[in-house]
Amino acid sequence: MTRYITWRLASAVLVVFGVSVVTFLFLHLEPGSAARSLLGEHATARSIAALQKRWGLNASLPSQFVRYMSALFHGNLGTSYIYQVPTSQLIGARIGLTASLVGLASLAAVVMTVPLAAIAASRQDKVADHAIRGFTVFGLGMPSFWFGIILIEIFSVHLHLLPVGGVGSGFGGYLESLILPAITAAIGIVPILVRSLRVGMIEILDAEFVATARAKGLKEPFVLISIVARNAVVPTVTFLGLNIAYLIGSTVIVEQVFNLNGLGSLLLSSILNRDFPVVQGVTIVLGASVVLINLVTDLVAARLDPRIRLR
Amino acid sequence: MTDPISQRGPVSRRDVFRYGLGASALIALGPLLPVTSGATTTTARKGGSLAQRSHATPTRGGTLKFARSVAPTTLDPANTIIAGDIYTLDKIFEPLYVTSPKGQLTPWLATGYKASTNNKTLTFSLRPGVKFSDGSPLTAADVVFSINRARKDSAGPLSFLDYAITSLEAKGTSTVVVQLSTPWAPIISDISVFANSIIPANFGGKTEAEFFKSPVGTGPFTLSSFTPDATSLTLKANKHYWQAGKPYLDSVEFLYVDNDNQRVLQIEGGQVNIIDTVPPAEVASLKGNSGVVLEQFPAWEVDLLVLNEKLPQFADRHVRRAITYAINRPALVHAANFGTGEPGGSFFPPSLEYYSAKTPVLEYSLSKAKAELAQSKYPKGFATKILVDSGNQKFVTFAQIIKSQLQPLGIDVTITGLDHSAFESTFQKFDYEMFIDYAINDISDPDEMASFELNFKDGGSSSYWSSYNNPAVTALVNSAEAEFNPTKRAALYAQIQSMVAEDAPFVPLDYPPYIYATSKSVQGFAVNPGGAYRLEDVWLT
Repeated sequence: MTRYITWRLASAVLVVFGVSVVTFLFLHLEPGSAARSLLGEHATARSIAALQKRWGLNASLPSQFVRYMSALFHGNLGTSYIYQVPTSQLIGARIGLTASLVGLASLAAVVMTVPLAAIAASRQDKVADHAIRGFTVFGLGMPSFWFGIILIEIFSVHLHLLPVGGVGSGFGGYLESLILPAITAAIGIVPILVRSLRVGMIEILDAEFVATARAKGLKEPFVLISIVARNAVVPTVTFLGLNIAYLIGSTVIVEQVFNLNGLGSLLLSSILNRDFPVVQGVTIVLGASVVLINLVTDLVAARLDPRIRLR
Repeated sequence: MTDPISQRGPVSRRDVFRYGLGASALIALGPLLPVTSGATTTTARKGGSLAQRSHATPTRGGTLKFARSVAPTTLDPANTIIAGDIYTLDKIFEPLYVTSPKGQLTPWLATGYKASTNNKTLTFSLRPGVKFSDGSPLTAADVVFSINRARKDSAGPLSFLDYAITSLEAKGTSTVVVQLSTPWAPIISDISVFANSIIPANFGGKTEAEFFKSPVGTGPFTLSSFTPDATSLTLKANKHYWQAGKPYLDSVEFLYVDNDNQRVLQIEGGQVNIIDTVPPAEVASLKGNSGVVLEQFPAWEVDLLVLNEKLPQFADRHVRRAITYAINRPALVHAANFGTGEPGGSFFPPSLEYYSAKTPVLEYSLSKAKAELAQSKYPKGFATKILVDSGNQKFVTFAQIIKSQLQPLGIDVTITGLDHSAFESTFQKFDYEMFIDYAINDISDPDEMASFELNFKDGGSSSYWSSYNNPAVTALVNSAEAEFNPTKRAALYAQIQSMVAEDAPFVPLDYPPYIYATSKSVQGFAVNPGGAYRLEDVWLT
């Protein structure tokens, strides 16, 4: 187990390294300049060059890369060109919001997925099953930003139940402002989760130990909840873990739609402003969290199902 | 004519308005507008009219919630060109003169000035009784310190506006003498720019960094705290403000909402009192909302199709004229601005001083376009490209329509879209054939737009990156800068506009206004043609 975790962590470092190399190259191949953004159209070539020099952007690409990587190994993500504060400070101020969003969205996804999958599986090929499968096809094709706007129109603009966007004050306000975004983000992965879990449950429903339970005269709800659902938890956790990566990616859009100032919106604005240190910093943090979540998922699955061996 | 980028980082003053363009009222009223009109168009108002609302007695108190598309990154007036910075710091600091909502220069921290007979020495008298927000009095030394700081900062994006100033001197506590290198007609406009706002001499004894974290100014509001990347910023009323009884508001909360759709939903949902940069596509639906008032203000802004004269086809004057004739600007405005906005004519917008309504515009005519192209070296047309900012939906639509309108001439257009930052650095390297962008004037004097767009050698942009170089036009621009007689200046600018319309170095496509939406409770809100709004006159019912 320890050996397994060590091996996985080592490969995680490699993945994050790969992510930073690719991000660095893509960013520096793209035209556009933060110096010009900051100084404006009236900026002289000299003032742009002076700013580029201050930021070290006049050096050759390989030497910029070496400097960047050595700073990174010392835990230094650099300083934002635009805000003139350390990148780690910007990320620190926003990571909580994005983590809460991803956490709540995962919870919402589970709350929506489990009952739907259970109904579909237990009523296989009946009306309810077809309806749920139809919904998942619709859900797969629906853009999440559009769904988010519909939710805002209904619950915020017309019913005045929840805020249109932004983050409310106090714990209650904070949670309130994350409800619609979490549902919007969750809707992006629920169709996949429902379909996967449904198949998993159908397999279990056909299993011999379920037939045995029924033969013993156990009532159907008990069979479904206690035996089928318990056994279906492992594939759910695995699918959820895999899809959290997708969920993290979707926060870029969801944060835009709901005006949440998290890592996703920081990433987008930094790309548009060519604020390289911030783009690199956020990408590394997001990349590392995806790798870590996958690792945690594997460990949890192994814990839940002793048959899974980690090597 | 300032700079770039959207989203929560640096955004230029222009970017604030990138998507909020167009005014149906102006289409109808355009030809009737007076030359220097900055009159607020109010046709979109529902319920209480401007007249009714303005006559009400102001109510004191309350917090104004204002959702804007851009966030501040710094509050140092001399070192920014970014909309989020400018429209925050101009509530805290004030210059000697300001531009009114009607576009007129108005004495502010100065009560007036006297010019010497050779127009090279200006003596400003300061307004008595003005105090900074810490209670200390405004003195001539503060003015000298502030303007010297702004003009000597070579990295300051607008320091070039102070180029004619050679020295400033304090005479006593309430008189400032400014020496100019040459008679310079735009000087009061230049003095009025936010970069020349007044701060206490020597930062009131603090370090520069400390000062701008908790700034002290003469403006109607003060700042409680400033975090460069925060999502909101709150201003509080300045108890020492020199206009007795103002501001009416207790506080102003600026929220940063870069997503156009979110801003519109926030005003519809009653979460905020004002939003900026209303997308033209949303104008119709907001007009139908009884709880929201739509406001449109004329801007010193023009959208241009720029032709690269470094290429032989665009160096050919007949080709440029043919393209201008072939573009149906009223149709363009109708299609891309959702019926709002005024079609382009002169390269000066109608709200700008010395705009000439008599400019011989090459109005849309396909037969004249064909005749003009027949006289060129390319009678059968050619293949070319239009570069656009792919994030600017209006300009993408413009490009698509222009492509189809140039088809009958045999000019085959390919559209290239790049994101804003890449777009800007590409055309500024002259790596383009045609591009669409907007130009704005930062000050009330038209010289900035004239020299930036026409003075190939010294204007700073090789004639807005078109490489248009007409020495006769440049000479007229220089003469207008030194001309103090308004009638003679008007004649010079009329001649310039006429020559540029005939030479067609770029096609003025439309004149977009600023579009804001407010809740019905907001009173006294107005935007000047430069895009600035003062909030000491605003109150909530």
